[in-house]
Amino acid sequence: MTTKDIKLDHVSIRFGAFTAVDNAHLTIKGGEFFSFLGPSGCGKTTLLRCVSGFTEPSEGTVSIGGKDMRGVGPNKRPTALIFQNLALFPLMSVAENIAFPLEVRGVGRKERRKKADELLDMIALPGVGDKKVHELSGGQRQRVAIARALAVEPDILLLDEPLSALDLKLRHHMRTELRAIQQRVGLTFIYITHDQGEALTMSDRIAVMNAGVIEQIGDPETIYNKPKTAFVASFVGETNAISGKVTSQSDGIVSVQTPLGVLKGTAAGGRHYKAGDECFVFVRPEQLGLVGAPGAIQSMDNQLTVQAVKEEFEGNARHLFLNAQGQDLRLSRTNLGGVSDHLAGQAVQVGFAADQAIVLPHGSLAGA
Amino acid sequence: MGVLQQGLSAFTRKHGLGVACFIGLSVFVWVVFLIVLPQLSMLDFSFRYNLPRAEVGGPADVYTLDNYAYFFQGNDGTFNALDIGILVKTMVAAVIVTVIDIAICYPIAFILAHSATGVAARLMVIGLIVPFWVNEILRAFAFRVLFGATGLVNSIGLSAGFWDVPIDFIRADVALYSGLVYAYILLMIFPIFNAVEALDRNQIEAARDMGASWWRVHWRVVLPIAKPGIVSGATMVFMLTAGALAAPQILGGPSNLWFTQLIYQWFNESANWQRGSAYAVVLLVVCISFVMMLMRVFKVSIGEIGR
Amino acid sequence: MNRQTGGGPLAVGYALLFFAFLFGPLIIMVITAFNSSSFPRVTPWECFTTEWFGVLFGNGRLMNGLLNSVVIGIGVVLIAVPIGLAGALALSELGPKLRAALYTVLITPILVPGVVLGISTIVFWGALGRSVGAGYDSMFFNGMFLTLIGQVTFIAAYAMLVFIARLQRFDPTLTEAALDLGATPGQAFVKILLPFLAPAIGSAAFLTLLASFENYNTTVFTIMADSTFTTALASKVRLGTDPSLSALAVIIIGITLIGAIVNEAWTRRAEALRSGCAARSAVYGNPALAVIVHPATVLVLLLGLVGYLAWSGTQHDAGVCKQQILDEKLARQEQLLEEQRQRIRDQKAAEEATGTVTKPASPSAFGGAFNGLAPSPAAPATPATPKAPSAFGGAFNNLAPKTD
Repeated sequence: MTTKDIKLDHVSIRFGAFTAVDNAHLTIKGGEFFSFLGPSGCGKTTLLRCVSGFTEPSEGTVSIGGKDMRGVGPNKRPTALIFQNLALFPLMSVAENIAFPLEVRGVGRKERRKKADELLDMIALPGVGDKKVHELSGGQRQRVAIARALAVEPDILLLDEPLSALDLKLRHHMRTELRAIQQRVGLTFIYITHDQGEALTMSDRIAVMNAGVIEQIGDPETIYNKPKTAFVASFVGETNAISGKVTSQSDGIVSVQTPLGVLKGTAAGGRHYKAGDECFVFVRPEQLGLVGAPGAIQSMDNQLTVQAVKEEFEGNARHLFLNAQGQDLRLSRTNLGGVSDHLAGQAVQVGFAADQAIVLPHGSLAGA
Repeated sequence: MGVLQQGLSAFTRKHGLGVACFIGLSVFVWVVFLIVLPQLSMLDFSFRYNLPRAEVGGPADVYTLDNYAYFFQGNDGTFNALDIGILVKTMVAAVIVTVIDIAICYPIAFILAHSATGVAARLMVIGLIVPFWVNEILRAFAFRVLFGATGLVNSIGLSAGFWDVPIDFIRADVALYSGLVYAYILLMIFPIFNAVEALDRNQIEAARDMGASWWRVHWRVVLPIAKPGIVSGATMVFMLTAGALAAPQILGGPSNLWFTQLIYQWFNESANWQRGSAYAVVLLVVCISFVMMLMRVFKVSIGEIGR
Repeated sequence: MNRQTGGGPLAVGYALLFFAFLFGPLIIMVITAFNSSSFPRVTPWECFTTEWFGVLFGNGRLMNGLLNSVVIGIGVVLIAVPIGLAGALALSELGPKLRAALYTVLITPILVPGVVLGISTIVFWGALGRSVGAGYDSMFFNGMFLTLIGQVTFIAAYAMLVFIARLQRFDPTLTEAALDLGATPGQAFVKILLPFLAPAIGSAAFLTLLASFENYNTTVFTIMADSTFTTALASKVRLGTDPSLSALAVIIIGITLIGAIVNEAWTRRAEALRSGCAARSAVYGNPALAVIVHPATVLVLLLGLVGYLAWSGTQHDAGVCKQQILDEKLARQEQLLEEQRQRIRDQKAAEEATGTVTKPASPSAFGGAFNGLAPSPAAPATPATPKAPSAFGGAFNNLAPKTD
């Protein structure tokens, strides 16, 4: 079990005038499954390449196990990177791929083959050692890439969106598998993804990045339930964002003047607002409820009359698209069987509890 | 120098010191000793007198414009109509050969890229390449056999009664033009093919669907895509035709010379290397200026040549 | 052919015409190699003969040039391929600005006329040789060395283009993966990039060998007093032609075709194996057929065929036929002479009758006869013409077309 922590000390990475990573400052604990989550182009891959040694930071230092990594090449770092396209060597057999790290370290042929077979057993692919890479399926290649990285016996495994090329079913399966492998080998995993589902299900902790800046670091529940910025609230999970101005705050409950009237929400992180502050009220579709519906939320501090536009059926859930004074809202209900109540086209009463809505200062929204 | 150092360290990081040294040294030798210095040396040489060996480097070995003056004015200070005429004729002929090659190769490149499939396409590619594995001299020789006074064309023409005195195709330059067109077909087809291949077949079908006639489809849809390929191919064909030596020597008529043959004569028959160098510089400058002008007109950069 | 995108009969017709242009001259040249006529031609057909192959191999200068060409060709491959590889690698790593500049410099040798390259090479190395006081027997004035240098200048650029095309398809993350897995940069180069480039090295070597072998424009300047195969060939063509050159073309085209067929067999096999459908394919799945279409088998079969043809060629004797043709020619010659004499006798008789005397034909009439004779089928008989008085020239001129 490794205990090597990775410390990013005020790391910034610039390419000419463009800042790819801006002042990243965090410590990843040994043995942790840590994810960087963010939209494409947010700088997460650059940060990963910086940890693996392909890019040097423009400012700040990266240290692994207390050792400054400046000037240490990727082949000398205790990290192994799994590339987005896996980068399996097409001209080599599966066993040769897995044993490549041993080959370049001068390990003999027999021992290499033995180790490759062991690793193949570990990833539950015994007997494919002599196949060519292109003869494997997507999921098998995925596991071979992991086995090859593990053959380095690294302290830290870096994964750059390794599941993005797989189909949905396999992706879901590999999530579980990756987490299981991580727990079995006890290595530090640093995982890069733009898929919040992957990050939430696998990670011990998540860092959400936007435009080179780390917006929030926390465990999955904190990230989802207590976002600290407008970006995190809107990027992680579905949400309704209603723009407005603070009118008053008493204890943790903030009243906000919005086009839909005055709405009450919780001030995130014990923040204090002044009257007139620009803000967003965030409420998740599953926390929005129909007033008077069976099993509806009991205390509805906020109640609105809105127009139901259309209904979408997704199997496990029904999504109701609403419109009120030009503001689009979305309401999701778990499908418990039964039939649709055909609300589309009607005016409906919806509401939500103040402690389930979050008030955050104005900031950029994801995808906006 | 800073840039070079940076480049070298980039190679070292990526491929290791040994490979970086190999790359740096090879490119250095190639650029400096094989490309730049010989050209400069030829330029230097063209400004010198043709001296006996003992006087080279002596007081008489000074720079002169004599060799260039000769090209423009001949021996007697008047206009050197003969040599300048040969240069102009060579350029015009090279342009004609290039245009014929474009006309012949464009349809084939298009057919190869968009009509031929499977076995037909494979056969076409092999059929295109195989003739060009045959020696250049022998290809020219084949045209001499074909077009000679007793060649097949004359035999057929005479026996079929198309003409009753053998036509001197060699003197009329028909053999030369055919041979040159033939020689560089491959260099024209592949750039055009590469460009046209990138065209989405649906675009043609869409245009046809909207009622465009086939020539309009080519003029408006295919040709703009093919343009960089055509310019790239035309540049190579033009340069090689203007610089051709073997085909004019074998297929050219006795009275009309190619400019390269003049250079050859200065070197091998008059043993005047300096003047030959001057003529070579003239050829190089004229060809390159012409191609640069062409590239500017068609807005194509040199980076696209040879792709 | 796909009809919808312009693959109609017009396209097919054009393609056929085009390939007729491409192959016609070569086919005709091949045919002339087997005609005993001492000038390469198809019509009139005299005798089937294989003697021109013997004439070809007996040509000492050509064979010596062949040896020089092989030596130079090997040298060029050994130098131009690594240099071209270095150029391609350099271009792949440089920033866009520097890259464009270097590309322009490295590609110019392809565009610069070959004669200019040849001249600049001999001038530069000659000047260098003089400046170090080397004699004319030193390498600075050695045709083989200069040709090697001159050819490498531009042939390396061909090799470079091959490598650039291959490198564009290289996934640079493979090198990064190797580094990340603990390989040194050198190991990554040798174990990952070089194996990927291996096919390109093969085709670059082939291309450079061919280009070196074929080159004339540069070589004719750099080879100095020596000669390569191509320069020897060119001077032979310029001085006068006989069908032994056609025989050479037969050999080269034969080698080319064998190469193309074996290469095709090889690529098809490799493709079938790679796509993994070899076992399922009707041809590669059948053990007997799989052996027959194996490139090695194809090569052996073709070589066997060529060997048989060559052997039966040596057994062929065109002597009888040639004698017959010669007899025919002599007979016709005799007949022509006879007719001529008859005409002169008639003329004399007429002159005597009228009393006027015509001047004997001037020597220039002979020139006219020579001109007129060349295209006539009786051309091989020209050595016989000096026997005839020059006055006959005019008569020949008149008669020749009639004998067709």
